[in-house]
Amino acid sequence: MTTTTHEAVVAVWQLESARVVSGLLRITRDLQLAEDLAQDALVAALESWPDDGIPANPGAWLMTVAKRRAIDTFRRAERHRAQVERLKHELGNDLSETSMDELVDQVDHVEDDVLRLMFLTCHPALTPESRAALTLRLVGGLTTEEIARGFLVKDTAVGQRISRAKRTLAESGATLEMPTGAERTERLDDVMAVIYLVFNEGYAATAGTSWMRTDLCLEALRLARMLAALAPGDAEVHGLQALLELQASRLHARTSPTSEAVLLEDQDRARWDHLLIRRGLAALARAEGTGQPVGAYTVQAAIAACHARARRAEDTDWVRIAALYDLLSAAGDNPVVEVNRAVAHGRAFGPAAGLAVLDAVADDAGAAYGHQWHAVRGDLLSRAGRGTEASAEFRTAASLTRNDAERSLLLRRAESG
Amino acid sequence: MRYMVMLTMRSDVGPPPPELVEAMDVAMTEAVGSGLLIDAGGLMGEDATTFTLRSGALARVDGPFAEAKEVVGGYSVLDVRSHEEAVEGARRMMQIHLDHWPGWEGSCDVRRISGREEGPPTS
Repeated sequence: MTTTTHEAVVAVWQLESARVVSGLLRITRDLQLAEDLAQDALVAALESWPDDGIPANPGAWLMTVAKRRAIDTFRRAERHRAQVERLKHELGNDLSETSMDELVDQVDHVEDDVLRLMFLTCHPALTPESRAALTLRLVGGLTTEEIARGFLVKDTAVGQRISRAKRTLAESGATLEMPTGAERTERLDDVMAVIYLVFNEGYAATAGTSWMRTDLCLEALRLARMLAALAPGDAEVHGLQALLELQASRLHARTSPTSEAVLLEDQDRARWDHLLIRRGLAALARAEGTGQPVGAYTVQAAIAACHARARRAEDTDWVRIAALYDLLSAAGDNPVVEVNRAVAHGRAFGPAAGLAVLDAVADDAGAAYGHQWHAVRGDLLSRAGRGTEASAEFRTAASLTRNDAERSLLLRRAESG
Repeated sequence: MRYMVMLTMRSDVGPPPPELVEAMDVAMTEAVGSGLLIDAGGLMGEDATTFTLRSGALARVDGPFAEAKEVVGGYSVLDVRSHEEAVEGARRMMQIHLDHWPGWEGSCDVRRISGREEGPPTS
């Protein structure tokens, strides 16, 4: 087989796998079986497309092959069950069963299946890491190797995590479902949290030598776009998409040519991705246009939009950003929010105002707030002209971060005070 | 990776049949929904100007260019994980033209966008 054909099959697979797997899951009600059938279809494509060419509608081709295998599987089970039934009948039992026709009828209703699949892969019975791995695998169509590379773990670890997750789902009796009302809101929150986790894993790697792992960010961005298209009536999914489009717009401005981290205010704004900014602002307008009360993702997106709209760093509307962080702060107890709120207040109302926000949460500094509390404190002290204290804070922050690129940035700042 | 797909067609094809418009609508909604298609536009025949620089002379010609045999009719920008994914996105668009616009002829260029718009290199 030529490399091109192999890559073409993989490309089609990645585009179609969520629909194929979710469609199969609808009829099989069995995640492992659905994925096995989908994999069978992929193998069939790898075998026949190099000779026959890629079909005009490859998605339909994959689905048709997988459905045939599903029906064969059911027929075998049916025959087996019929024999069991006959035996039971002979023994005087009478059990009703789903007819074959009904199963076949179910095959073609694929609307909403992908959203149901996302609810399932982000099921509350699973750990956050398992949710992320399973979602990337089944919704994103990524291989275990690709997921492992993204999370900097071994292939086998991801494989085990995914099998364990499938087992947990089977044991908990979780199925494809479309929750309604308050439960839908909660489950959508879970899905959004997984997408956000994947994005952040790529955006600000907490360990290792890479400041960010772009592939994961882009995969999360894709998932956010999918979710916004699948649940367009929910404001917050647009807020999440807006946030990720806007964050991703700065991906290539965040590192210098020598791979050093560049802080937002020092970034070359010409290097921001203005197509993504436009898409982010449009998604934010959709979130705000629903008239629904907005959540934390939309507020964060509104903050990111303030930066995106400023043509120069000094044009940034810090007063509005400070007000938006106040909103976030009022909504919950989040150390990262408090640290960023201190930055915003510092820029909007002077270093003293920022230090006041930081010092108000000083008791919790340390484990919960981590290196960022010290880094921001160093920055505010430096702006207040308290260079010696600033250097000490930067050095403390540098000793606490696990990210090499960030550490060197902090040490550079400690030198300059 | 980011790709630009440009659709080139004869300039005298006339308006597309409703079946084509409808099928393209469905396909583009799907491609936007999957995160593949991030920007697209049709290019209009009027309000067109061409600059040419030949033998040290800069010339401006205003359209519409009735004499042009082929024109770029539209473009899309795709956000993809591989070259083949962009190729597949473009193939689908051409397949729709084959299926829903009898007699239409044209070509489609699939080109990777380089530079800052592309994002940092992925290792």
